[in-house]
Amino acid sequence: MKFTLGTAASVLVAAASLYAAPTLADVCDTPTPLGDLGKFEGEVITIMGSMEGQDEEMLTNTVSCFEKATGAVVKYSGSRDFAALIVADLRSNNAPNIAIFPQPGLAGDMAKEGFLTPLGQESADWMAENYGAGPSWVALGTYADADGNEDFYGFAYKMDLKSLVWYSPEQFEDNGYEIPDTMEGLIALSDQMVEDGNTPWCIGVESGNATGWTATDWMEDLMLRTTSPENYDRWVSNDLPFNSPEVINAMDLYGQFSRNDDYVAGGASSVATTFFGDAPKGLFSSPASCMMHRQASFIPAFFPKKGEEVANGEADFFYFPPFEASDLGNPVLGAGTLWTMTKDSPATRAFFEFMKEASAHEAWMSQGTFLTAHTGADLNAYATPALRKQGEILSNATTFRFDASDLMPGAIGAGAFWSEMTAFANGQDTKTTADNIQSAWDAIK
Amino acid sequence: MTRTFKHVVLALIVVIWVLPFVALVTTSLRSEVASKTSGFWTAFTPTELGHRFGTHDRGEIEPFVTMSGNIFERLNKDSDSFEVEGDVNSILFTGRVPDPENPEKTKLIRQLIYPGEPMDVRGGDFVFESNGDFTWTFAEATAPKPKNIDAFIEQNPVFGTDAYVEVLFENKNVPNALIASFIVTIPATIIPITIAAFAAYAFAWMRFPGRDWLFVLVVSLMVVPTQLAFLPVLQGFSGIASWATSLNAWMTDCEATKTCQVASKSFASLWVTHTAFGLPLAIYLLRNYIVGLPKELLESARIDGASHLQIFTKLIIPLSVPALASFSIFQFLWVWNDLIVALYIGPADSADLVFPIRLQKQLGTFKDQLHLLNASAVISIIVPVIVFLSMQRYFIRGLLAGSVKGG
Repeated sequence: MKFTLGTAASVLVAAASLYAAPTLADVCDTPTPLGDLGKFEGEVITIMGSMEGQDEEMLTNTVSCFEKATGAVVKYSGSRDFAALIVADLRSNNAPNIAIFPQPGLAGDMAKEGFLTPLGQESADWMAENYGAGPSWVALGTYADADGNEDFYGFAYKMDLKSLVWYSPEQFEDNGYEIPDTMEGLIALSDQMVEDGNTPWCIGVESGNATGWTATDWMEDLMLRTTSPENYDRWVSNDLPFNSPEVINAMDLYGQFSRNDDYVAGGASSVATTFFGDAPKGLFSSPASCMMHRQASFIPAFFPKKGEEVANGEADFFYFPPFEASDLGNPVLGAGTLWTMTKDSPATRAFFEFMKEASAHEAWMSQGTFLTAHTGADLNAYATPALRKQGEILSNATTFRFDASDLMPGAIGAGAFWSEMTAFANGQDTKTTADNIQSAWDAIK
Repeated sequence: MTRTFKHVVLALIVVIWVLPFVALVTTSLRSEVASKTSGFWTAFTPTELGHRFGTHDRGEIEPFVTMSGNIFERLNKDSDSFEVEGDVNSILFTGRVPDPENPEKTKLIRQLIYPGEPMDVRGGDFVFESNGDFTWTFAEATAPKPKNIDAFIEQNPVFGTDAYVEVLFENKNVPNALIASFIVTIPATIIPITIAAFAAYAFAWMRFPGRDWLFVLVVSLMVVPTQLAFLPVLQGFSGIASWATSLNAWMTDCEATKTCQVASKSFASLWVTHTAFGLPLAIYLLRNYIVGLPKELLESARIDGASHLQIFTKLIIPLSVPALASFSIFQFLWVWNDLIVALYIGPADSADLVFPIRLQKQLGTFKDQLHLLNASAVISIIVPVIVFLSMQRYFIRGLLAGSVKGG
């Protein structure tokens, strides 16, 4: 390999002048103008989060609008090991200004240890008023501190819609399949695919040290379709034990999909070892190895052409339907990242004001995978019709519930639930799986 | 054992050892599709691979009776390199046809169509040749929607350096990581070796009370795992950083430019951490080497009136080059490959990330783009390989330091 720093440096200079930030100006030019946030010339705000790659780019672009308006400098560092790093940083007095928690469970733990700064009642009121399903978003970001006093800490910004089934319209057309609008229909369609010699589902739960989270999403979606939302809430708080009949029923139903060799591309044994981001590629492989993939709204970023498929009609999605027999309406499962203040400063407070601006939401909407509950944001700002369609699913929901594993304590929702669902994928039976999670929960009570 | 048997075993070990590297390099030189869909061992011979091509571009087209085109042209239209060449073996046809047994229903068929055989695509007759030429004929002029078709192509081997160009020049991440890794590794190798050489001399040839106990203490520090010390070490650095920040604010006019803040996670904190955790082994290794140098040599130097410093610089250092070099290799490789210390204690700015962190981030972003990840991995391997090859003659001698004492 002929490589010298000298040649690299000279090419870099050339490259830098060629690719001088082509889209930045457009991103900040939003339908709703940005309000006045004050001036913080040269002040540095540090942000830590788990977003990497494309998400990190979009975050940096969005944040650049804040930098332009206020003169502050925002430094973002993203790592897949965020959950471990942020705990070490907070406990050793190295807190960044803002920490973006993908799981409220961990944010709640940190609030309890006193590392988070409350955002104040005013912000909570603002969110209750200006976010769709506002009070539930406020509840998602409200935690108890060491003394048990509840305060609002987590500002939800950037949401995901989870109850989606992705498919390739062309495959459906070739095979003569129709989009089902009931769960009964979906199961019948899956059986039809098996009969035709196709494989209906691509499922993968591998995700490094977060392996198993995809399976918990399935579980939650099926819980919402087999039992009442009230039971779902009781399940989240463990008033309804993990090994109760309702939960075991949902887990068995998930098993019908994921532990069925005929249903899953590569066979049921491949579920635990398939990277969740590789699973949807089966829809587009040549020949296609599966017909459907249940995953959240962010997944097109992992498609072979990084989501271009959705724009040019090669991929589409439909709502993961409810059972016709059970009268539970149209439940929708979602999640959001929570932005918390870990080190107070005037510029950081201004940044939280920035996130209240419709413009901050529109800037990210225009770039790609980003959903928001901000009612003031202009829907025309969504980058694609697909994202708008997801927004409609969100608004047609009769029940909206947050990702349960995100709401459970960190040791369960980002621990036992993940690992036991992985064991379930590897063949552990339903009863043992449910019992193990429940005993892990008993242990931390 | 016969010589042949030994040679076979040795050759086998070499193959097992080198195979992953060959795989890494091969994958990094292949196209994205090829590296995703087939193993690296298939890269050297013509291989049958599935490719999906569209019959024509989306958008308005003039109605036609017969359209002709070439599968390879369609496949290669967007790429400048890694052009697909070879023979089209077959096309996978999927579709519903009337079921002969059950006249009211249709039946799904999946069937391989071979060159020259007609197949039904959107109501037209689609015929292709193994060189890729196809014709699509309709009974009357039609303007059909484009159709994506799966073709199995016996593909000729094709290699290219696109992955390297992309990781090195598309953005500055990899070159920056290379530079950051050097910034961390070079001082983190030189500082401990310098301190350790002085300490080793003292432990070997200077008499002071409690010397042996102190040496035992230093050696026993080797068992302290770095991971255990992250929190206290980080707390220490943040204490020093806040102290330095106030000192900075008091002594300079940094407040005007808002640059008072001294980062607690920086290259310097990495140097200190790597030095601290590298020292016990370094002192142990060097002391055992230095203590084995001929006693007479040092005594005659002392009789001639040489001071400790003169003995150290004029005798000990030149005689200890093998031990110094071998420890440098150890420390260099360990720091170069370190991920966890850099992750917790190193700077977090995107431009300052060391190579292992950059590779880990690429794992997140490029997990599905093995060729890019492998290209970066090959680049990161090159430096340690150069270091190792250029210093390996010392390495063997230095490894024996302490085990075989001269006299």
